[in-house]
Amino acid sequence: MSLLTRFRRVPLTIRVPVMVVMLMVAISAVISERVLDRLSKTQEVYLQGLASAYLDGIVASITPSVLREDSWEIFDSIERMKPSAENILPIETVVTGKAGLVLASSNPMTRETLRPLDGKFAAKFDGPNVVIDPQTRSGYIRRSIAYQNTVVGTVYAIFDVTSLLEERQQILVTLLATNSLITALLGCVGFVAVRRMIRPMQVLETHMIQAAAGSATVIGESEFLATNTEAASLYRAYNELVNSETERQALASQLAEEEKLASLGRLASGMAHEINNPLGGLINAVDTLRLHGERSNVRQTSIDLIQRGLHGIRDVVEAALATYRPERLARPLEESDIADLRLLVRPELRRRRQLLDFHMEGALSPEPAWPAGPIRQAILNLLLNAAAATPDCGRIGLRVEVNPNALAITVSDQGSGLPEAEATVLTAGTKMTLREGKGLGLWIVREIADELGAGVTVSGSANANTAICLSIPRTKYEVSDAA
Amino acid sequence: MCAASLRGVNNKVTRRSFLGWATGCATTLAAPALRAQSDRIRFGLTPVFLTNDLELLHALQAFLERVTGYDVELITRRTYQEITALLLSGRLDAAWICGYPYVHYRDKLELVAVPDWNGQPYYRSYLIVSQDRKAEDLPELEGDIHAFSDPDSNSGFLVTRTLLFERQLDPDSFFRKTLFTYGHRNVIRAVASGLAQSGSVDGYVWEVLREIEPELVARTRPLRKSEWLGFPPIATSKSLAYSPRILELRNALVSMSKSPDGQSVLSMLRLSGFEAPDPLVFSGIAAKYNMLRGVL
Repeated sequence: MSLLTRFRRVPLTIRVPVMVVMLMVAISAVISERVLDRLSKTQEVYLQGLASAYLDGIVASITPSVLREDSWEIFDSIERMKPSAENILPIETVVTGKAGLVLASSNPMTRETLRPLDGKFAAKFDGPNVVIDPQTRSGYIRRSIAYQNTVVGTVYAIFDVTSLLEERQQILVTLLATNSLITALLGCVGFVAVRRMIRPMQVLETHMIQAAAGSATVIGESEFLATNTEAASLYRAYNELVNSETERQALASQLAEEEKLASLGRLASGMAHEINNPLGGLINAVDTLRLHGERSNVRQTSIDLIQRGLHGIRDVVEAALATYRPERLARPLEESDIADLRLLVRPELRRRRQLLDFHMEGALSPEPAWPAGPIRQAILNLLLNAAAATPDCGRIGLRVEVNPNALAITVSDQGSGLPEAEATVLTAGTKMTLREGKGLGLWIVREIADELGAGVTVSGSANANTAICLSIPRTKYEVSDAA
Repeated sequence: MCAASLRGVNNKVTRRSFLGWATGCATTLAAPALRAQSDRIRFGLTPVFLTNDLELLHALQAFLERVTGYDVELITRRTYQEITALLLSGRLDAAWICGYPYVHYRDKLELVAVPDWNGQPYYRSYLIVSQDRKAEDLPELEGDIHAFSDPDSNSGFLVTRTLLFERQLDPDSFFRKTLFTYGHRNVIRAVASGLAQSGSVDGYVWEVLREIEPELVARTRPLRKSEWLGFPPIATSKSLAYSPRILELRNALVSMSKSPDGQSVLSMLRLSGFEAPDPLVFSGIAAKYNMLRGVL
């Protein structure tokens, strides 16, 4: 990954201030370089002027002495003319004669009188212009002594330019400190500004993450007050989206409830039929009793008939009550619940002339305590869905398997396959949005599966014989875990 | 101006001829001017004196004016030659000159008083070198750049020149170069700085400066001290020797140690007093002068 790519991945709140800082550093470097260059030139001009003034005085004073080669007079002039009030002082002055011999020097110990001038020393000078050597912190300047258009000698002067270099150093430090301060300030301002600018995005991001997790909430009024109009507009759009989604969810729930009621209606109709069937026999039995009640065999047969008929009606009514008031069935699932379900779907199956293939593997026991109410509701929904999907005179299957890990309930049909949207509802969960309320029964199954911590798998081809398996884990309902 | 041009050509015969001519002028042309100046004393000072001390000059002037009753004008010049010429020409009433010019113009000059240094009218000439130099005697100074004080100075020129002569050393080749600094303090500066490797200086000045400017003098040391010689005297022209103001001047100088302001001046000069002149004091300088007569 290149550095640029990595940098692009850095959060905006860091990236923008870093870019501001880098820009400021670049600007500072350019400005500092220009300022120091300008200062350097100004200082050189100043030093040149100062050195020239000094040399003018020296040359005017010593020219007659140079002509006479009067070392003492030259030395005395150098001593007397040494400025003391300036920041930039000559640290050494050497005067040579025509032959290049030292006539006098401010420091005769190092430049011995009437000896040839050291070549290395002379090489440091570059004529009338000051040469600054930062290493020795000195400025070197040379001036010829002319008399009647003839060069009779040369003055070499070395100036201590420490104060100039220190001034440069101080200005450099000041520039660096000021620029660093400004850069840091701009970096902070950039950080705060960008943070404020992207704050609405962060608020939106937080709410969207929450929405993705299934708990979408609208952005509060306080956030509106703390932001600008563009962000407020964005917030409003988001809130409208959330409200719309919430309404859609509410609608879906309502539709699910309606679906439940609709299936209840169908069941009620079946139940009425179930109740009605024995009612005919019961009425006949009552008539028989009325006519031939004195006959003990007839009476006994009629009473038995009436009793079976009433038991049948009671079973149907209890099954319905148990299913549609699940709070009454907080007890563990029992095999009688499975029998109830078979009883409940029987009217629908009979109406469609369908058969139910039931298979039970293993035995249900009080431990683990799988909750009867939601499981009954889920199986009933799956059975009704299978019945609806299967053509008339077809077969649907119900397989209940109690294995060491889970309770696996599989409902199969002979329909034309589960539509992809409804299969997705089952497998992806209730976070999926229902379209036009289709598949509400399965959506409720998914909701119950989530509640139970169960897994749902859909098998079979897309256009035939679908099998839906609800696998409820055992561990969650073990007594030790439940405790 | 004449003195400067004389110094420029550096011709001693011509210079001395000029001084002799100036002496003649003093007795003829300058006479009306002297009368006009009779109410004041023009007192010349040479570099043998510590002329850079203005406080001393003011104190000396005030003392002399108080004791003599005359206005006193102190006149300083850069060289002995200028002061001697002014004295011989009558443009000075008296001057503090060196023993060498006095001996040279003894027939035209009269002593007014002789200073006492440490109670004696004598001083010595020092041959100085830098403090860290190993040399022990004159021959080791061969090839030096040598600083003299003044060509008319006894201690700053005549003594060393005589010494070379005595040792039969060629003065033109023994030293690589000689230079005149026109001040005993300058000789010390030249040697201390390294401009010159050796120098001839007034021993009195060297000793006094050792107290006043110890840092400067400490960089030099006397290689050789001469015999005791007559201290630079106060002289006047023979024509004025017995004039009232010169008598008053002599009286003031000799009595200087008896008054507080006089003692103050003597203290600044590091002298013990002045005494009445005795020409024999300068016999040592005269001997050296005679030794070099015809050579210089």
